[in-house]
Amino acid sequence: MSKTHFQTRNGTSVTEQLFPQAEDDLELFSDDSEVVGPAAASEVIRYEYHVLYSYSYGVPVLYFRASFLDGRPLTLKEIWDGVHQFYKAHLLQEPWSTITQQEHPILGQPFFVLHPCKTNEFMTSLLENSEKDNRNINYITSWLSIVGPVVGLNLPLSYAKAMSQHDAKPDCYQVSESNLTC
Amino acid sequence: MTDDKDVLRDVWFGRIPTCFTLYQDEITEREAEPYYLLLPRVSYLTLVTDKVKKHFQKVMRQEDISEIWFEYEGTPLKWHYPIGLLFDLLASNTALPWNITVHFKSFPEKDLLHCPSKDTIEAHFMSCMKEADALKHKSQVINEMQKKDHKQLWMGLQNDKFDQFWAINRKLMEYPAEDNGFRYIPFRIYQATTERPFIQKLFRPVAADGQLHTLGDLLKEVCPSAITTEDGVKKNQIMIHGIEPMLETPLQWLSEHLSYPDNFLHISIIPQPTD
Repeated sequence: MSKTHFQTRNGTSVTEQLFPQAEDDLELFSDDSEVVGPAAASEVIRYEYHVLYSYSYGVPVLYFRASFLDGRPLTLKEIWDGVHQFYKAHLLQEPWSTITQQEHPILGQPFFVLHPCKTNEFMTSLLENSEKDNRNINYITSWLSIVGPVVGLNLPLSYAKAMSQHDAKPDCYQVSESNLTC
Repeated sequence: MTDDKDVLRDVWFGRIPTCFTLYQDEITEREAEPYYLLLPRVSYLTLVTDKVKKHFQKVMRQEDISEIWFEYEGTPLKWHYPIGLLFDLLASNTALPWNITVHFKSFPEKDLLHCPSKDTIEAHFMSCMKEADALKHKSQVINEMQKKDHKQLWMGLQNDKFDQFWAINRKLMEYPAEDNGFRYIPFRIYQATTERPFIQKLFRPVAADGQLHTLGDLLKEVCPSAITTEDGVKKNQIMIHGIEPMLETPLQWLSEHLSYPDNFLHISIIPQPTD
Protein backbone atom coordinates (compact mmCIF):
# COMPACT_ATOMS: atom_id res chain seq x y z
CA MET A 1 0.00 0.00 0.00
CA SER A 2 1.27 3.45 -0.73
CA LYS A 3 0.08 6.92 -0.13
CA THR A 4 1.31 10.25 -1.32
CA HIS A 5 0.30 13.52 0.08
CA PHE A 6 1.38 17.07 -0.32
CA GLN A 7 1.83 19.41 2.54
CA THR A 8 2.99 22.96 2.81
CA ARG A 9 5.70 23.74 5.29
CA ASN A 10 3.26 25.37 7.66
CA GLY A 11 1.36 22.14 7.89
CA THR A 12 -1.69 22.57 5.67
CA SER A 13 -2.47 19.32 3.98
CA VAL A 14 -3.40 19.52 0.33
CA THR A 15 -4.30 16.11 -1.08
CA GLU A 16 -4.46 12.57 0.18
CA GLN A 17 -4.84 9.31 -1.66
CA LEU A 18 -4.56 5.73 -0.52
CA PHE A 19 -4.12 2.91 -2.95
CA PRO A 20 -4.26 -0.65 -1.66
CA GLN A 21 -1.99 -2.96 -3.61
CA ALA A 22 -1.01 -6.60 -3.61
CA GLU A 23 1.92 -7.21 -1.25
CA ASP A 24 4.51 -7.63 -3.92
CA ASP A 25 3.31 -5.06 -6.34
CA LEU A 26 3.83 -1.44 -5.45
CA GLU A 27 3.16 1.59 -7.54
CA LEU A 28 3.75 5.17 -6.65
CA PHE A 29 0.93 7.57 -7.20
CA SER A 30 1.10 11.30 -7.06
CA ASP A 31 -1.44 13.67 -8.38
CA ASP A 32 0.31 16.90 -9.20
CA SER A 33 -2.80 18.36 -10.77
CA GLU A 34 -4.50 18.59 -7.41
CA VAL A 35 -1.80 20.61 -5.73
CA VAL A 36 -2.96 24.05 -4.72
CA GLY A 37 -0.44 26.75 -5.47
CA PRO A 38 1.69 27.28 -2.37
CA ALA A 39 1.85 30.53 -0.52
CA ALA A 40 5.05 32.46 -1.17
CA ALA A 41 6.46 31.92 2.30
CA SER A 42 5.99 28.16 2.40
CA GLU A 43 7.25 25.28 0.27
CA VAL A 44 5.30 22.26 -0.84
CA ILE A 45 6.61 18.92 0.37
CA ARG A 46 5.69 15.61 -1.19
CA TYR A 47 5.40 12.78 1.33
CA GLU A 48 5.30 9.15 0.31
CA TYR A 49 4.28 6.37 2.65
CA HIS A 50 4.48 2.68 1.86
CA VAL A 51 3.22 -0.14 4.00
CA LEU A 52 5.18 -3.31 3.38
CA TYR A 53 5.02 -6.68 5.02
CA SER A 54 8.15 -8.14 6.59
CA TYR A 55 8.20 -11.91 6.21
CA SER A 56 11.20 -12.09 8.53
CA TYR A 57 9.39 -10.43 11.46
CA GLY A 58 5.83 -11.21 10.42
CA VAL A 59 4.68 -7.62 10.86
CA PRO A 60 3.88 -4.61 8.68
CA VAL A 61 6.62 -2.02 8.29
CA LEU A 62 6.23 1.65 7.44
CA TYR A 63 8.56 3.06 4.80
CA PHE A 64 8.44 6.78 4.07
CA ARG A 65 10.27 9.58 2.37
CA ALA A 66 9.69 13.23 1.61
CA SER A 67 10.98 15.62 -1.01
CA PHE A 68 10.45 19.17 -2.16
CA LEU A 69 8.77 19.60 -5.54
CA ASP A 70 12.14 20.23 -7.18
CA GLY A 71 13.12 16.71 -6.17
CA ARG A 72 15.43 17.59 -3.30
CA PRO A 73 14.88 14.99 -0.57
CA LEU A 74 14.24 16.01 3.02
CA THR A 75 16.70 14.85 5.62
CA LEU A 76 15.42 12.95 8.61
CA LYS A 77 15.85 16.07 10.69
CA GLU A 78 13.70 18.10 8.29
CA ILE A 79 10.96 15.45 8.38
CA TRP A 80 11.28 15.28 12.14
CA ASP A 81 10.70 19.02 12.35
CA GLY A 82 7.31 18.43 10.74
CA VAL A 83 6.18 15.93 13.36
CA HIS A 84 3.66 17.13 15.92
CA GLN A 85 5.15 18.19 19.27
CA PHE A 86 3.13 15.57 21.13
CA TYR A 87 4.58 12.71 19.16
CA LYS A 88 8.08 14.08 19.37
CA ALA A 89 8.04 13.86 23.14
CA HIS A 90 6.45 10.42 22.97
CA LEU A 91 8.95 9.13 20.43
CA LEU A 92 11.90 10.24 22.51
CA GLN A 93 10.58 8.20 25.42
CA GLU A 94 9.67 5.09 23.48
CA PRO A 95 12.74 3.39 22.06
CA TRP A 96 10.59 1.09 19.95
CA SER A 97 10.33 3.73 17.31
CA THR A 98 13.83 3.89 15.90
CA ILE A 99 13.93 5.42 12.46
CA THR A 100 16.72 4.50 10.10
CA GLN A 101 17.43 5.04 6.43
CA GLN A 102 17.14 1.79 4.50
CA GLU A 103 16.84 0.51 0.97
CA HIS A 104 13.24 -0.08 -0.13
CA PRO A 105 13.19 -3.85 -0.85
CA ILE A 106 11.16 -3.44 -4.03
CA LEU A 107 12.13 -0.03 -5.39
CA GLY A 108 15.76 -0.22 -4.29
CA GLN A 109 15.75 3.46 -3.28
CA PRO A 110 16.53 5.05 0.08
CA PHE A 111 13.55 5.43 2.41
CA PHE A 112 13.20 6.05 6.11
CA VAL A 113 11.87 3.10 8.04
CA LEU A 114 10.13 2.78 11.34
CA HIS A 115 11.77 -0.17 13.07
CA PRO A 116 9.38 -3.12 13.27
CA CYS A 117 10.66 -4.99 16.27
CA LYS A 118 8.23 -3.84 18.93
CA THR A 119 5.23 -3.97 16.63
CA ASN A 120 4.27 -7.41 17.88
CA GLU A 121 4.15 -6.28 21.49
CA PHE A 122 1.82 -3.37 21.12
CA MET A 123 -0.32 -4.99 18.43
CA THR A 124 -0.84 -8.11 20.54
CA SER A 125 -2.24 -6.18 23.46
CA LEU A 126 -4.37 -4.10 21.13
CA LEU A 127 -5.86 -7.16 19.45
CA GLU A 128 -6.49 -8.89 22.76
CA ASN A 129 -8.30 -5.88 24.15
CA SER A 130 -10.48 -5.50 21.10
CA GLU A 131 -11.43 -9.19 21.27
CA LYS A 132 -12.44 -8.73 24.90
CA ASP A 133 -14.64 -5.76 24.04
CA ASN A 134 -15.98 -7.57 21.01
CA ARG A 135 -14.92 -4.76 18.74
CA ASN A 136 -13.98 -5.38 15.14
CA ILE A 137 -10.72 -3.85 14.13
CA ASN A 138 -8.63 -3.88 11.01
CA TYR A 139 -5.02 -4.73 11.90
CA ILE A 140 -3.52 -2.42 9.32
CA THR A 141 -5.75 0.54 10.13
CA SER A 142 -5.05 0.20 13.85
CA TRP A 143 -1.33 -0.29 13.36
CA LEU A 144 -1.09 2.65 10.99
CA SER A 145 -3.04 4.91 13.33
CA ILE A 146 -0.44 4.20 16.02
CA VAL A 147 2.79 4.45 14.05
CA GLY A 148 1.71 6.85 11.34
CA PRO A 149 1.38 10.11 13.29
CA VAL A 150 4.84 9.55 14.71
CA VAL A 151 6.22 10.24 11.25
CA GLY A 152 3.68 12.80 10.11
CA LEU A 153 1.14 10.43 8.56
CA ASN A 154 -2.28 11.19 9.97
CA LEU A 155 -4.99 8.71 9.25
CA PRO A 156 -8.37 10.33 8.59
CA LEU A 157 -11.13 9.35 10.99
CA SER A 158 -13.13 8.03 8.05
CA TYR A 159 -10.95 4.89 8.06
CA ALA A 160 -12.02 3.99 11.57
CA LYS A 161 -15.65 4.85 10.86
CA ALA A 162 -15.59 2.63 7.80
CA MET A 163 -14.35 -0.26 9.93
CA SER A 164 -16.99 0.02 12.62
CA GLN A 165 -19.71 -0.21 9.97
CA HIS A 166 -18.06 -3.23 8.42
CA ASP A 167 -18.84 -6.68 9.76
CA ALA A 168 -15.31 -7.93 9.08
CA LYS A 169 -13.41 -9.77 11.77
CA PRO A 170 -9.78 -8.82 12.41
CA ASP A 171 -7.84 -9.52 9.27
CA CYS A 172 -5.65 -12.40 8.24
CA TYR A 173 -2.60 -11.02 10.06
CA GLN A 174 -1.47 -13.59 12.54
CA VAL A 175 0.30 -12.33 15.57
CA SER A 176 3.00 -14.87 16.25
CA GLU A 177 4.13 -15.72 19.74
CA SER A 178 7.72 -14.74 19.35
CA ASN A 179 8.57 -11.73 21.40
CA LEU A 180 10.65 -9.54 19.20
CA THR A 181 12.82 -6.95 20.84
CA CYS A 182 15.39 -4.60 19.43
CA MET B 1 40.53 -34.08 3.74
CA THR B 2 39.74 -30.39 4.17
CA ASP B 3 37.85 -29.61 7.31
CA ASP B 4 34.60 -27.70 6.93
CA LYS B 5 36.04 -25.12 9.31
CA ASP B 6 38.70 -24.24 6.75
CA VAL B 7 35.91 -22.99 4.52
CA LEU B 8 34.99 -20.42 7.16
CA ARG B 9 38.55 -19.04 7.07
CA ASP B 10 38.72 -19.00 3.29
CA VAL B 11 35.48 -17.06 3.13
CA TRP B 12 36.54 -14.57 5.81
CA PHE B 13 39.96 -13.84 4.28
CA GLY B 14 38.82 -13.47 0.66
CA ARG B 15 40.19 -10.30 -0.94
CA ILE B 16 39.57 -8.32 -4.12
CA PRO B 17 42.41 -6.29 -5.64
CA THR B 18 40.95 -2.86 -6.32
CA CYS B 19 42.15 0.31 -8.00
CA PHE B 20 40.50 3.53 -6.83
CA THR B 21 40.57 6.49 -9.22
CA LEU B 22 39.28 9.97 -8.48
CA TYR B 23 36.43 11.11 -10.71
CA GLN B 24 37.82 13.41 -13.39
CA ASP B 25 35.42 16.29 -12.62
CA GLU B 26 36.49 16.53 -8.99
CA ILE B 27 38.46 19.70 -8.32
CA THR B 28 42.06 18.99 -7.27
CA GLU B 29 45.06 21.13 -6.48
CA ARG B 30 47.43 18.57 -7.98
CA GLU B 31 47.18 15.37 -9.95
CA ALA B 32 45.50 12.56 -8.02
CA GLU B 33 47.27 9.22 -8.31
CA PRO B 34 45.14 6.07 -8.30
CA TYR B 35 45.11 4.15 -5.02
CA TYR B 36 45.42 0.36 -4.84
CA LEU B 37 43.91 -1.71 -2.05
CA LEU B 38 42.97 -5.32 -1.30
CA LEU B 39 39.33 -5.16 -0.21
CA PRO B 40 37.90 -7.78 2.17
CA ARG B 41 35.02 -9.55 0.45
CA VAL B 42 33.05 -9.84 3.67
CA SER B 43 33.24 -6.19 4.73
CA TYR B 44 31.63 -2.93 3.60
CA LEU B 45 33.11 -0.19 1.40
CA THR B 46 32.77 2.68 3.86
CA LEU B 47 34.30 0.56 6.63
CA VAL B 48 37.56 -0.19 4.82
CA THR B 49 38.27 2.89 2.70
CA ASP B 50 39.53 5.44 5.23
CA LYS B 51 42.96 5.29 3.57
CA VAL B 52 41.38 5.88 0.16
CA LYS B 53 39.56 8.93 1.46
CA LYS B 54 42.68 10.37 3.07
CA HIS B 55 44.72 9.75 -0.06
CA PHE B 56 42.43 11.79 -2.31
CA GLN B 57 41.56 14.46 0.23
CA LYS B 58 45.28 15.31 0.36
CA VAL B 59 45.02 16.83 -3.12
CA MET B 60 41.68 18.57 -2.64
CA ARG B 61 40.48 21.67 -0.85
CA GLN B 62 38.20 21.24 2.14
CA GLU B 63 35.36 23.15 0.47
CA ASP B 64 35.29 20.74 -2.48
CA ILE B 65 34.81 17.71 -0.24
CA SER B 66 31.48 16.36 0.92
CA GLU B 67 30.31 12.80 1.51
CA ILE B 68 32.43 10.20 -0.31
CA TRP B 69 30.71 7.74 -2.61
CA PHE B 70 31.88 5.07 -5.03
CA GLU B 71 30.85 4.11 -8.51
CA TYR B 72 31.65 1.31 -10.95
CA GLU B 73 31.06 1.92 -14.67
CA GLY B 74 28.40 4.50 -13.93
CA THR B 75 26.62 2.47 -11.24
CA PRO B 76 26.72 4.00 -7.74
CA LEU B 77 27.95 1.31 -5.34
CA LYS B 78 25.70 0.55 -2.38
CA TRP B 79 27.99 0.63 0.63
CA HIS B 80 25.45 -1.34 2.65
CA TYR B 81 25.97 -4.39 0.41
CA PRO B 82 29.02 -6.54 1.25
CA ILE B 83 31.99 -5.81 -1.02
CA GLY B 84 32.17 -9.38 -2.31
CA LEU B 85 28.52 -9.24 -3.35
CA LEU B 86 29.02 -5.99 -5.27
CA PHE B 87 32.04 -7.42 -7.08
CA ASP B 88 30.41 -10.75 -7.96
CA LEU B 89 27.28 -9.04 -9.17
CA LEU B 90 28.89 -6.26 -11.21
CA ALA B 91 32.45 -7.14 -12.11
CA SER B 92 33.27 -10.80 -11.54
CA ASN B 93 33.87 -11.59 -15.18
CA THR B 94 36.05 -8.61 -15.97
CA ALA B 95 39.81 -8.33 -15.63
CA LEU B 96 41.36 -7.49 -12.28
CA PRO B 97 41.97 -5.11 -10.60
CA TRP B 98 38.44 -3.92 -9.94
CA ASN B 99 38.34 -0.29 -11.09
CA ILE B 100 36.26 1.88 -8.78
CA THR B 101 35.73 5.62 -9.23
CA VAL B 102 35.73 7.85 -6.16
CA HIS B 103 33.39 10.86 -5.84
CA PHE B 104 33.20 13.68 -3.28
CA LYS B 105 30.41 15.71 -4.89
CA SER B 106 26.83 15.27 -6.11
CA PHE B 107 25.85 12.47 -3.78
CA PRO B 108 23.19 10.38 -5.60
CA GLU B 109 20.37 10.81 -3.06
CA LYS B 110 17.97 8.61 -4.98
CA ASP B 111 20.34 5.66 -5.20
CA LEU B 112 22.50 5.50 -2.12
CA LEU B 113 21.96 5.49 1.62
CA HIS B 114 23.96 8.08 3.53
CA CYS B 115 26.82 6.84 5.66
CA PRO B 116 27.65 9.68 8.03
CA SER B 117 29.70 7.56 10.44
CA LYS B 118 30.95 4.11 11.42
CA ASP B 119 27.96 3.91 13.75
CA THR B 120 25.69 3.82 10.70
CA ILE B 121 27.55 0.80 9.35
CA GLU B 122 27.40 -0.89 12.74
CA ALA B 123 23.66 -0.25 13.02
CA HIS B 124 23.08 -1.65 9.54
CA PHE B 125 25.26 -4.70 10.20
CA MET B 126 23.56 -5.48 13.51
CA SER B 127 20.15 -4.97 11.93
CA CYS B 128 21.00 -7.61 9.28
CA MET B 129 22.26 -10.01 11.94
CA LYS B 130 19.06 -9.57 13.92
CA GLU B 131 16.92 -10.20 10.91
CA ALA B 132 18.93 -13.33 10.08
CA ASP B 133 18.40 -14.64 13.59
CA ALA B 134 14.71 -13.80 13.47
CA LEU B 135 14.57 -16.20 10.53
CA LYS B 136 16.88 -18.86 11.99
CA HIS B 137 15.86 -18.90 15.64
CA LYS B 138 12.90 -16.52 16.08
CA SER B 139 15.49 -14.07 17.44
CA GLN B 140 16.05 -16.23 20.54
CA VAL B 141 19.81 -16.69 20.18
CA ILE B 142 20.69 -13.09 19.39
CA ASN B 143 18.38 -11.71 22.07
CA GLU B 144 19.93 -13.98 24.70
CA MET B 145 23.33 -12.46 23.98
CA GLN B 146 24.63 -9.59 26.02
CA LYS B 147 25.43 -6.21 24.57
CA LYS B 148 29.12 -7.02 24.81
CA ASP B 149 28.62 -10.07 22.59
CA HIS B 150 26.98 -7.90 19.94
CA LYS B 151 29.90 -5.48 20.25
CA GLN B 152 32.33 -8.33 19.82
CA LEU B 153 30.69 -9.38 16.56
CA TRP B 154 30.99 -5.86 15.23
CA MET B 155 34.54 -5.33 16.46
CA GLY B 156 35.57 -8.67 14.99
CA LEU B 157 34.33 -7.55 11.59
CA GLN B 158 35.70 -4.03 11.86
CA ASN B 159 39.18 -5.20 12.91
CA ASP B 160 39.29 -8.27 10.68
CA LYS B 161 39.55 -10.62 13.67
CA PHE B 162 38.25 -14.04 12.57
CA ASP B 163 38.56 -15.75 15.97
CA GLN B 164 37.02 -12.86 17.87
CA PHE B 165 34.06 -12.83 15.49
CA TRP B 166 33.47 -16.58 15.37
CA ALA B 167 33.75 -17.01 19.15
CA ILE B 168 30.29 -15.42 19.24
CA ASN B 169 28.98 -16.13 15.76
CA ARG B 170 29.23 -19.90 16.26
CA LYS B 171 26.27 -19.64 18.64
CA LEU B 172 24.19 -18.22 15.79
CA MET B 173 25.06 -21.28 13.72
CA GLU B 174 23.70 -23.81 16.22
CA TYR B 175 20.26 -25.38 16.18
CA PRO B 176 18.28 -27.71 18.47
CA ALA B 177 19.33 -31.36 18.23
CA GLU B 178 15.82 -32.47 17.33
CA ASP B 179 15.71 -30.20 14.28
CA ASN B 180 17.85 -30.76 11.24
CA GLY B 181 18.64 -27.12 10.71
CA PHE B 182 17.48 -23.56 11.14
CA ARG B 183 13.85 -22.54 11.06
CA TYR B 184 14.25 -20.56 7.83
CA ILE B 185 17.40 -19.83 5.82
CA PRO B 186 18.45 -16.17 5.64
CA PHE B 187 19.22 -15.51 1.98
CA ARG B 188 18.95 -12.82 -0.66
CA ILE B 189 19.24 -13.41 -4.39
CA TYR B 190 20.51 -10.57 -6.57
CA GLN B 191 20.32 -10.16 -10.31
CA ALA B 192 21.66 -6.96 -11.88
CA THR B 193 19.25 -7.14 -14.79
CA THR B 194 16.04 -7.03 -12.75
CA GLU B 195 14.10 -4.03 -11.39
CA ARG B 196 13.87 -5.41 -7.91
CA PRO B 197 17.02 -5.10 -5.81
CA PHE B 198 16.80 -8.68 -4.47
CA ILE B 199 14.55 -11.65 -3.81
CA GLN B 200 14.03 -12.69 -0.20
CA LYS B 201 11.41 -15.21 0.88
CA LEU B 202 10.71 -17.66 3.69
CA PHE B 203 12.36 -20.98 2.87
CA ARG B 204 12.96 -23.96 5.12
CA PRO B 205 16.25 -25.91 4.97
CA VAL B 206 14.48 -29.23 5.60
CA ALA B 207 11.53 -30.67 3.71
CA ALA B 208 8.53 -32.22 5.42
CA ASP B 209 9.95 -35.70 4.83
CA GLY B 210 13.23 -34.72 6.54
CA GLN B 211 15.25 -34.39 3.33
CA LEU B 212 17.69 -31.50 3.23
CA HIS B 213 16.79 -28.84 0.66
CA THR B 214 19.54 -27.97 -1.81
CA LEU B 215 20.64 -24.76 -3.47
CA GLY B 216 18.90 -26.02 -6.59
CA ASP B 217 15.66 -26.54 -4.63
CA LEU B 218 15.82 -22.95 -3.41
CA LEU B 219 16.34 -21.51 -6.88
CA LYS B 220 13.63 -23.67 -8.40
CA GLU B 221 11.21 -22.35 -5.81
CA VAL B 222 12.03 -18.64 -5.64
CA CYS B 223 13.88 -17.85 -8.87
CA PRO B 224 13.32 -20.57 -11.47
CA SER B 225 14.43 -18.37 -14.36
CA ALA B 226 17.95 -18.40 -12.90
CA ILE B 227 18.48 -22.08 -13.60
CA THR B 228 16.55 -22.65 -16.81
CA THR B 229 18.70 -23.54 -19.74
CA GLU B 230 18.39 -22.28 -23.28
CA ASP B 231 18.53 -25.40 -25.47
CA GLY B 232 20.47 -27.21 -22.78
CA VAL B 233 22.98 -24.38 -22.48
CA LYS B 234 23.54 -22.85 -19.05
CA LYS B 235 22.42 -19.22 -19.14
CA ASN B 236 23.55 -18.00 -15.73
CA GLN B 237 26.18 -18.42 -13.06
CA ILE B 238 24.99 -18.85 -9.48
CA MET B 239 27.75 -17.21 -7.48
CA ILE B 240 28.54 -16.91 -3.78
CA HIS B 241 31.93 -15.52 -2.64
CA GLY B 242 33.26 -15.71 -6.16
CA ILE B 243 32.56 -19.41 -6.63
CA GLU B 244 29.72 -21.47 -8.08
CA PRO B 245 28.64 -24.07 -5.50
CA MET B 246 27.10 -27.23 -6.88
CA LEU B 247 23.32 -26.97 -7.01
CA GLU B 248 23.15 -30.24 -5.04
CA THR B 249 24.77 -28.60 -2.00
CA PRO B 250 22.46 -28.67 1.02
CA LEU B 251 21.21 -25.17 1.81
CA GLN B 252 21.71 -25.71 5.54
CA TRP B 253 25.43 -26.38 4.94
CA LEU B 254 25.70 -23.29 2.74
CA SER B 255 24.02 -21.19 5.41
CA GLU B 256 26.45 -22.41 8.07
CA HIS B 257 29.60 -22.10 5.99
CA LEU B 258 29.11 -19.62 3.16
CA SER B 259 27.07 -16.92 4.84
CA TYR B 260 28.53 -13.46 5.11
CA PRO B 261 29.28 -12.13 8.62
CA ASP B 262 25.72 -10.72 8.71
CA ASN B 263 24.59 -14.38 8.58
CA PHE B 264 22.90 -13.98 5.22
CA LEU B 265 23.64 -15.97 2.08
CA HIS B 266 24.02 -13.25 -0.56
CA ILE B 267 23.66 -15.03 -3.89
CA SER B 268 24.39 -13.43 -7.29
CA ILE B 269 22.81 -14.50 -10.55
CA ILE B 270 25.00 -13.32 -13.39
CA PRO B 271 25.01 -14.06 -17.10
CA GLN B 272 27.26 -16.96 -18.06
CA PRO B 273 30.37 -15.48 -19.72
CA THR B 274 30.60 -16.42 -23.37
CA ASP B 275 34.33 -17.04 -23.70
